[in-house]
Amino acid sequence: MSIDLSVTLAGIPLKNPTILASGIMGVSASSLKFCEENGAGAVTLKSIGPVERSGHANPTVIVWEKGIQNAVGLSNPGIDGSIEKIEKAVKVLKIPLIGSMFADTIDNFKMIALKMAETGVAGIEVNLSCPNTEDDFGKMFALDPKMTEDLIKAVKGEVGNLPIFAKLSGEHSDITEVGKAAEAAGADGITAINTMSGIVIDIHQKRPILTNKVGGLSGPAIRPISVRAVWNLYQAVKIPIIGTGGINTGEDAIEYIMAGASAVGIGSGVWYRGIDVFKKVTDEMKAFMEKNNYKNIEEMKGIAHEK
Amino acid sequence: MKNEKPLALPIKEIIIENERVKTFVIEGEMEFKPGQFTMCWIPSFDEKPFGLVSRKEGEFMITVAAVGTATKALHMMEVGDMLGFRGPFGSVFNLPKKGSIALIAGGYGMASLFNLAKEAREKKLDVHVFLGARNKNELLYLDWMKELGVELHLSTDDGSAGFKGFNVQVFEKEVGKQSFDKAYTVGPEIMEMKIAQICWQNNIPFEVSLERYMKCGFGICGQCCVDPVGWRMCVEGPVIDGEKLKQITEFGKYHRTASGRVEKYPWAKNG
Repeated sequence: MSIDLSVTLAGIPLKNPTILASGIMGVSASSLKFCEENGAGAVTLKSIGPVERSGHANPTVIVWEKGIQNAVGLSNPGIDGSIEKIEKAVKVLKIPLIGSMFADTIDNFKMIALKMAETGVAGIEVNLSCPNTEDDFGKMFALDPKMTEDLIKAVKGEVGNLPIFAKLSGEHSDITEVGKAAEAAGADGITAINTMSGIVIDIHQKRPILTNKVGGLSGPAIRPISVRAVWNLYQAVKIPIIGTGGINTGEDAIEYIMAGASAVGIGSGVWYRGIDVFKKVTDEMKAFMEKNNYKNIEEMKGIAHEK
Repeated sequence: MKNEKPLALPIKEIIIENERVKTFVIEGEMEFKPGQFTMCWIPSFDEKPFGLVSRKEGEFMITVAAVGTATKALHMMEVGDMLGFRGPFGSVFNLPKKGSIALIAGGYGMASLFNLAKEAREKKLDVHVFLGARNKNELLYLDWMKELGVELHLSTDDGSAGFKGFNVQVFEKEVGKQSFDKAYTVGPEIMEMKIAQICWQNNIPFEVSLERYMKCGFGICGQCCVDPVGWRMCVEGPVIDGEKLKQITEFGKYHRTASGRVEKYPWAKNG
């Protein structure tokens, strides 16, 4: 029996549903290509902002007992310093490249979206939910449905038919409100969820380890939180969902798909399983599907809701 | 054992190498192989990669020049103060089974090569060390290396010890006189580039340690990926084989800053 792992995500064809999540590896065309060579179905850029940022001082990324914690702080060369890199990545990649952007104001989001759309990216993920830059940018957009709606509408107005994904936070008390707002504003998909804020203290040094003190938690610790977000969103919206958070194995990916995800984002898994995590996850998905007589992803999507 | 979360360890001893450089002896175990590095957390300031050095069990060392805010803060610390260590991280040097090897170190490169020299001597290899520095005071670990029984070829910019000039020149001359089974180089990239060219021209197998700006140290942030292959210098590197190095086209030309912006080396030719 032949197994088909391909999916179509908001009109974007993917050979398999694993997507490199934003913020992991996506610094250059080369690092994205390295993920493609290791089996990714699509890759997401590290978020680009209006101007160059060096991010927070190290330590910025650590592993703790149940996951990873980071406060890289959205380091990036700024949109104008990134165009050449994005165009190069579009050129060298055979798989779709999803852009990613953040900004402080709706006008800056519009400005970046317009420039990024012209590079040939397959879609743009709007990072509304970085938990590590509150001091610089204030409260995240994704905690406010009205702001999310205004922002997505404005971005959509700039880029026309190019698919737009709203990356949401698991920290809103009801993610479906924000998801519905994004959908109403014209978002083509939702990425759920971003990392969850946390603090890890070194008791010998008597202070938080990360220089930013607060940092986003990812990895296995947040998987059930994220699966719940996908679950709730699947019941609330019609647009496709990229489920992200703690996907290390094919079984993890299938869990998300059964909760209603159309594709899965992989980030921390690059540490847990190595750079070939994409190939490992897709091989394990195939093995599961073969054993359980599933021919394609669509057959499994959302089926946990039927029980 | 590998620490992914910083392990708090005390400074046991501070060795003053010269007016700008100190070696910090740390009490604790760090089971590394030559070529690997640690991410050292200087609380309240920064976390930076340093080559690992060890001379006896139960302790390890890092050698640090006071050049920026964080390293200057580290230089102010005293015996008993705690630092945080993650690692060891990265790829390792590989020794031939027998024969003669050349280690070419500039700046603080000897920190990454010292334990390779130690291991090579334990395996009875002939070890030639081409150590270069600005002046006599900046030549690192001289006494320790004499103890190991390596053959030292010294050079200084001002001629205060050994050959007046660069270690690259000394190495090139020696390559004409005797054969090396393998060469290893760590230091400023312009020096590594010249050593690589000499090795390629003379068919000497070699390994280089390539430094790039690092954040996570364990292969997820993508900051230290090199063009066009995307290899991570904290996982696939920092030690890179000379043949593989040919695929890293950015070597000797440019690197990326903390923001991820490409920055050309001032001395690099265009292209």
